[in-house]
Amino acid sequence: MSHDHDHETNFGSATSPLAARVRAMEALLIEKGLVTEAEIQDNVAYMDSRSPVNGARLVARAWADEGFRARLLSDGKAAAIELGIDAVASPELVVVENTPDVHNLIVCTLCSCYPRNVLGRPPDWYKSFEYRSRAVREPRAVMREFGFEPPGDTRVAVHDSTADVRYMVLPIRPPGTGGLDESELADLVTRDCLIGVDVPRAPSAAQA
Amino acid sequence: MSGTHDMGGEPAGPIDKKGHEPEDWERLADAINAALGKKGIQTTDEHRRAIESLPDYRDLAYYERWASATERLLVEKGILTSVEIDEKAAEIHHRWENA
Repeated sequence: MSHDHDHETNFGSATSPLAARVRAMEALLIEKGLVTEAEIQDNVAYMDSRSPVNGARLVARAWADEGFRARLLSDGKAAAIELGIDAVASPELVVVENTPDVHNLIVCTLCSCYPRNVLGRPPDWYKSFEYRSRAVREPRAVMREFGFEPPGDTRVAVHDSTADVRYMVLPIRPPGTGGLDESELADLVTRDCLIGVDVPRAPSAAQA
Repeated sequence: MSGTHDMGGEPAGPIDKKGHEPEDWERLADAINAALGKKGIQTTDEHRRAIESLPDYRDLAYYERWASATERLLVEKGILTSVEIDEKAAEIHHRWENA
């Protein structure tokens, strides 16, 4: 078990000393007129409203619409905004496309950089020291831990995110999904597929 | 020389895949950070530098690092003092204990 988690268990409670310090900073910043309570609450609500569903919509549209796919790959942020996703405040979003030759995996070795404005807060494992350390050295071993591994002749490309450039994977549309509409396609795309530790599967395969 | 945060390629154990729903204080720490950014009071790079220079970086959980770094940065910039944060936090903690 990681150190991280021991601490979350011990200190993560709503009334911990650290929680009090965070509340104290909030109160003082409001008292001094530097931020308003409404601004804080707007930011909580904004981040709560971000989710991998946004990424799944981008992927499904790219699968269904070749022109959109090209725009998504050339400017991810503009493509997100085109679908009505509020990503104006986002750093640059680079979408990397899986092909039979290349499978992409996203990490942030230095911290936790992630397309938060599109996908929401990253999962805990993405921020873990173990994932950050290992994804760049042994990506296949990491993917196996998630129950997935690309074919042996597929090259694995690992993208290390930065504060200024965030990555998202455009997975391969699974075979046997020709009859699905866009929202059914989006249902196949999980957060893990957008990070690259998994791939979407056709509905029958997903239940296997 | 690489910093404590620069861990790409280091040997490490299995990845713990179970997550937790963010606690209210974590969502608040996140929101304070975003609000300070939008107000031009702190930048992402400043916040990262503050996180990366925490002496106990590897002993802290994720939002503990975020919140500690925000506090250090606000004090460093002269926006808040440690004393007023201590006092306000004690007051809040006292209120919780008596709630």
